Amino acid sequence: MKEWYGYAGKLVRINLSSGKIVKEPLDGAIVREYLGGVGYAAKIMWDEVKRGTDPYSPENLLIFATGPLTGTLFPFSGSYDLVFKSPLTGLWGESRAGGFFGPQLKFAGYDFLIISGRAEKPVYIWIEDDKVEIRDASHLWGKGIHETTRIILKETDENASVACIGPAGERLVRFACVIVDRDRAFGRCGGGAVMGSKKIKAVAVSGHGEIRVAKPELYERILEECKQIAEKFKKTTVFAQYGTAGIVLPLNEAGAFPTKNFQTCYFEHAEKISGETLARDYLIKRRACFACWIGCGRHVEVVSGPYITPPFEGPEYETINMLGAQLLIDDLRAIIKANYLCNDYGIDTISVGNCIAFAIEAFEKGLISSDMKGELPLEWGNPDTLLKSVEAIAFRKGLGDILAEGVKRAAERIGNGAKDIAVHVKGLETPAHDPRGTSRSFAIQYAVGNRGGCHTHPNWTGLWDFGRIDAGLISHGLPWPPISRFDEEHVKERARAVRLFSLHGLCAEILGFCRFAVEGGVGACMTPKILADFTSSLTGLDINEYQLLEVSERVLTLERCFNVREGVTKCDDRLPKRLFEPIKTGPTKGQSVRNFDKLLEAYYEEMAWDVNTGIPTKEKLQQLGLNFVISQIYQQK
Amino acid sequence: MKALIALPDRCTGCQRCTLACSYAHTKTYSPSKSRIWVIRLERKIDQPIFCNQCGICISACPVNALSRDKKTGAIIVNEERCIGCGYCVNACPWGVIIIDHITHKAIKCDLCGGDPACVKECPEQALWFVDIREAAKFKRGATVKLLSYYYRAYGGGKE
Repeated sequence: MKEWYGYAGKLVRINLSSGKIVKEPLDGAIVREYLGGVGYAAKIMWDEVKRGTDPYSPENLLIFATGPLTGTLFPFSGSYDLVFKSPLTGLWGESRAGGFFGPQLKFAGYDFLIISGRAEKPVYIWIEDDKVEIRDASHLWGKGIHETTRIILKETDENASVACIGPAGERLVRFACVIVDRDRAFGRCGGGAVMGSKKIKAVAVSGHGEIRVAKPELYERILEECKQIAEKFKKTTVFAQYGTAGIVLPLNEAGAFPTKNFQTCYFEHAEKISGETLARDYLIKRRACFACWIGCGRHVEVVSGPYITPPFEGPEYETINMLGAQLLIDDLRAIIKANYLCNDYGIDTISVGNCIAFAIEAFEKGLISSDMKGELPLEWGNPDTLLKSVEAIAFRKGLGDILAEGVKRAAERIGNGAKDIAVHVKGLETPAHDPRGTSRSFAIQYAVGNRGGCHTHPNWTGLWDFGRIDAGLISHGLPWPPISRFDEEHVKERARAVRLFSLHGLCAEILGFCRFAVEGGVGACMTPKILADFTSSLTGLDINEYQLLEVSERVLTLERCFNVREGVTKCDDRLPKRLFEPIKTGPTKGQSVRNFDKLLEAYYEEMAWDVNTGIPTKEKLQQLGLNFVISQIYQQK
Repeated sequence: MKALIALPDRCTGCQRCTLACSYAHTKTYSPSKSRIWVIRLERKIDQPIFCNQCGICISACPVNALSRDKKTGAIIVNEERCIGCGYCVNACPWGVIIIDHITHKAIKCDLCGGDPACVKECPEQALWFVDIREAAKFKRGATVKLLSYYYRAYGGGKE
């Protein structure tokens, strides 16, 4: 294509083994079929990361992916993804972050940064418009996120955006993350470990270019509409006032607040770790990602007591639940401190919390011997347990070395039936939402999630029955009104809702905006129609809402095929044993998942995947224009 | 006449004003062409900074390319006259007039001809375009707040 609108129009490839740096124009054909973001990246991953590739090998790719909306005035545009093969699951890995990195990458002139190979010595990458350099990072290796960021900003440009790993990524902790702009995380799936395996300490980018608009007049009109939607979202949700932590109390009262390694869904001291408490006692100010209308970021500090922290962007909902309620810890200061350490070491707070909760329960049940435990205190409700475990995991000390492998591998290593209390899907530790307490939709979402047990990729599908939000999907066939969130009989309706919300949510990762944009109620949600209109006027690509959701389905299916090629079938789409056990206390006491197989099969049918194998049917693949995958996934069976 | 002012306690550092500014002047998104900046200091501060139209630059210009707009009071760059010498950049105490890295002409806030795009784009109402009779009061409050933040953020009272 000649002229690019919305897109920067180029990608840059860096091979660290050879030191070769290549800039290429975007492929117009891929853009038409996959648009951008994880869509474009999925095609690259399928083409270039062959079956059986070791996530830690030079052949694995690390793709920083932006979408056409990233860096524009779309009210949620400070969002972008990191795509790779996950060392935690051995499957499709992707992770989203906020902050400024993606927009900066686009202003520098690149929609994608694709890193392959492995450097001999630690390096960091410095991108300033046309200038792309691989620099020595020996002096940074071993340093925490905050210090690394500070030094790189000094060595490059104080306005640059820095994505880097900490000690955990260097030590290949399987759920190490990549931290952007000090406190924003590519959190899940272990992108930090992949970065560590390639010996990249950081990527810094500063851009001075521009993003152009195809049809300014139409665009400006739709943008005004989008801003009104964003303003309504801001006014009708808790996120601006209390951050995502604002949903701690509502979810707890609904019995949807996983606690004590998912033994229950109600935490009696939730008040003490709520968003309200956070705002009252520790909040300095709200901070926003690039171009964000909401500003859910919590700039917090603890000024006195044993858990002092400097000011930083503090805990959000997942962190508070996983480092708090899951461990029965009700001291918010300890959670903030642990969050700070996780950020500085570069580890995913969700996986860390899940692993520590697992370890405490395993020790309590006698599965972990005192020998194995070493000096680590493993007690429910003990802040010391949390802080010492975080350090032990990040630096792979003692039992931490085992937990750093992720809860699935840790349970296998410990044996004795420890796998019964390890709560993960396909190796990804499940986050702070529960199919039993929140919505049965999560039974499907967790089981089939392309990156494993995940609440946010491709969407928070409980929006339908828990949130009672239609998201403009009724015209696409969304059953309305929704059924009860505990209903397991109307599997067809539920499967339909999970599919539609998934496709809608995936637009965020393809177009490059924050998923909150599609989470609001009537008049507060970016419906597929608005998204398609906005994208069309911005990029000049003529796309309607139906085509947009078809792109989503193509991408979701291609990701699935990536996993199928790695060997995933129906028997991998399972839930952990814990989620079949009844909830022990609280408003949702007694709830469990009973009709799982029916739910799963209804979803397969809805997606036109084979009910016996979970593999997308040839007809469906052809219909989506994915003919090129057929020979590879059907030949090996 | 009206004045553009920023309230430091409201800014979340989202940079929407910089995007809106570049779009208003170039119809593209390019923070490097923005006439407003948001400085994020790591400790506690997000602060928009822009030209306060003081006019020091006018006399620094060797080719009379800078003049005051009678209607808005903004200092305007005459692009045809501007030779990109940068004397104005030297003279400006705030660093809010710059030389465009592509056109090599001076660019600065022109108050969008009396209807600043940044003000309309701020989701936190941190930017205000107020009548000059009220501006002084706002500015005093903003200045004191900013100083007190700065003082607290950087070890105020401890050292």
